[in-house]
Amino acid sequence: MSEHTNQRVEQAIANDARTHELGVRIECIDRRVLVRGQVASRERRAAVLTVVREQLPEAEIVDHLRLSDATQPPSRTETIE
Amino acid sequence: MTSRDGCLRIAAVGDVHMADDLRGRYAPALAELSGQADVLLVAGDLTQHGTLDEAAAFAEEFAAANVPVVVVLGNHDHHSGLDEEIAELIRRAGIAVLEGEGVLLDTPRGRLGVAGAKGFCLGFTGRCAANFGETQMKAFTQHGIDSAGLLRHGFDALDRAEPAADVRVALTHFAPTTSTLRGEPAEIWPFLGNHLLGEVIDASGADFAVHGHAHAGSERGRTEGGTPVRNVAQPVIRSAYRIYEIPVRVTAA
Repeated sequence: MSEHTNQRVEQAIANDARTHELGVRIECIDRRVLVRGQVASRERRAAVLTVVREQLPEAEIVDHLRLSDATQPPSRTETIE
Repeated sequence: MTSRDGCLRIAAVGDVHMADDLRGRYAPALAELSGQADVLLVAGDLTQHGTLDEAAAFAEEFAAANVPVVVVLGNHDHHSGLDEEIAELIRRAGIAVLEGEGVLLDTPRGRLGVAGAKGFCLGFTGRCAANFGETQMKAFTQHGIDSAGLLRHGFDALDRAEPAADVRVALTHFAPTTSTLRGEPAEIWPFLGNHLLGEVIDASGADFAVHGHAHAGSERGRTEGGTPVRNVAQPVIRSAYRIYEIPVRVTAA
């Protein structure tokens, strides 16, 4: 697999109506595909991995996606100088 | 000489990318805003796919905020070609949607002016599109130029306000500086921001600027002219919002 493959899968994740995730990065190493980036929910993580699996059905997917689901109020206030 | 003690308190977040799977995630924190902040700014990408259902989910979720809410749209909100309908739906929910406009909010601590525009790509020194060549390239570049013009129109509106705002803030989706893009690959900076936005902010005498869009960027930066800038993309701030205190300027009578 190649840079072309990485780009093709990243474009699929950006363009697919199930995902539209622009911040996911793909790196193919031999038959493994590393999936990196942040998504907002478990559902969005599953959708990204589905698109990757469809694009590279023979690859072993290594999920390094992180959930950006920390939506608590902030613990402090910053004064702008 | 008139002066108001203290600071205006601005809560801000961007890139909430609302859809059904995120319903209920922000409302509990937003319900705590009253007493903590005077206003909530949302720096675009209110929705994930730019649909009206997602816009309705955003409006319902952010109705929990018990302070005035001011937003700009982001590129995700344009994806389905429904940006005008999304803006109208959100306005009907009592939320100010800015695109080349300014809004004034009178708070107990002073008068806040917010100039807002989505902004667009273009780039920065050494990594900047030029208004040259193919029709498509010129259209891309011109849209970036025009987006900065819209932000300037927002500040022009604030300039005409009487009395003047005590604090002036720029609200955009795209970044006005590279300083808050650190962490993003430099190769994609031209798609994350626009140096003309920074020029407008500096020329306008803004006190503060917030933007989103750069999920892997840095929270804190400044424009070339020194205006403080914060990237409040939710994956950057990792909370429901940030709160910034802006000293209220002392105005000669």
